[in-house]
Amino acid sequence: MVKIMIYALSTCPWCKKAKRYFVDKNIPFDFMDYDLATEEDQNRVRRDFEKRNLDLSFPKAFIGDKIISGYRPDDYEKALQEAGVP
Amino acid sequence: MSVSDRKESLRAQFQGAVDVLGYKYTPDTELVEWCLDQEVILEQKHGIPFCPCQGLNYRREKDMRIVCPCIPWHRAHFDKMKRCWCGLFVHKDVEDPDQLVQMSEAEALQ
Repeated sequence: MVKIMIYALSTCPWCKKAKRYFVDKNIPFDFMDYDLATEEDQNRVRRDFEKRNLDLSFPKAFIGDKIISGYRPDDYEKALQEAGVP
Repeated sequence: MSVSDRKESLRAQFQGAVDVLGYKYTPDTELVEWCLDQEVILEQKHGIPFCPCQGLNYRREKDMRIVCPCIPWHRAHFDKMKRCWCGLFVHKDVEDPDQLVQMSEAEALQ
């Protein structure tokens, strides 16, 4: 199964929708609420995003090697299909 | 000031700020209430009503770019989407915000 990671904010309604998308499809995923994370984890995420030239807008879904910014159910679907998730 | 009073104060303040930029509150009233609630909470925590959908960088020059309404800092990006990142504000001609798609700045400005 492809690895799925959702970076989110606890204050962001689109982040809740993004998580809900995967929950409703019963697709396992990991997530981090950036604003609730430890300072160390926040620093790590920022460094990682900067290396990838990503800003701190949320949600961000990492589906295998695909990175999708924003709540984009059509793109989630496409990335899952490409990753062979039924 | 109570949370609800502050929320109404922000609502009125933002209305004037975005109107001159060609934006209005999204017709999605549930989203409006949620975002304004979160901004009051963020203001209580950080002293500033930051965008609820953009993370703090803890570098002032970057964080000032996500103070609501942050449209002037992201004008080309948001104009392309016809909405701000969190969707609290949409272009004045938008009647159905569900048709609008979030996209990264890089994607929007391609």
